[in-house]
Amino acid sequence: MASKNQGSTPRALVIEDIKVDSVIILRMLEKLNCEATVARNGKEAVDLFLKGKTFDIVLSDQDMPIMTGPEAVVKIRAMGATQVKIVGVSADFGGMEAFMQAGADVFVPKPIKFETLESMLQEVIQKKNMHG
Amino acid sequence: MDYSNLRRQAASMKKSLFDQGYLDEQFCQVEDLQDEASPNFAEEVVTLFFKDSARLISNIEQALEKYPKDFNKWDAYMQQLKGSCSSIGASRMKIECMSFRDYCGQGNAEGCMKSFQKVKREHGVLRQKLEAYFQLLRQAGPTGAATRPSM
Repeated sequence: MASKNQGSTPRALVIEDIKVDSVIILRMLEKLNCEATVARNGKEAVDLFLKGKTFDIVLSDQDMPIMTGPEAVVKIRAMGATQVKIVGVSADFGGMEAFMQAGADVFVPKPIKFETLESMLQEVIQKKNMHG
Repeated sequence: MDYSNLRRQAASMKKSLFDQGYLDEQFCQVEDLQDEASPNFAEEVVTLFFKDSARLISNIEQALEKYPKDFNKWDAYMQQLKGSCSSIGASRMKIECMSFRDYCGQGNAEGCMKSFQKVKREHGVLRQKLEAYFQLLRQAGPTGAATRPSM
């Protein structure tokens, strides 16, 4: 019997304050048939989780006003959102340590490549299908 | 009108932008996101970039004036601009942004000022060149997949 989630569209949260960057990532996600939501800073992202929104993958920039990416990751994980794949994205390689310590699963340098995003989404979809 | 000639001119112009270091591979990544549903995506993103970057440059200009030697503040603004440059493949602009940030790290205000002038100059030049490129593309009409310049 096919899993009820098999073939379901993955849901991504993009946490990014720079419009150009979010437009590009959103376009990539669109081409990858992924539903996407944008939060303009860490606090907006945390608020989405507090409202009960769920995502399969979070792509977070590092430095943003009000609440940074790593700060948001700490809070998201503390809420019990341990299954969602969290990807720290930054042009600053120093961001890797901050994101990983905060609880991100992986760090990728900015600008993110389409192939990298595609590969990460494939993993997310496979995991979704396995768990049904 | 000879559309194939216009397309050749556009391809040549793009190659030149790469050869002279104005653009890098990331620009091709942006163009590759175009398809029938979003045929002008690259131009839309570049237009957005110049709108955003003009604002960031204005912020930096004000910060240089209002917050003398506040290198952390100057650096924070320039980090944003550098990030946007990376996202669209604006290579020469990105290099000047990095130079400015290096001067911030050194606490060298004069270096920052000179570097900032270069950032503004590169911004203006890139804007002109990309406007000309996209104008030519529009004249050339819709094409197939974006072509990468041979490098």
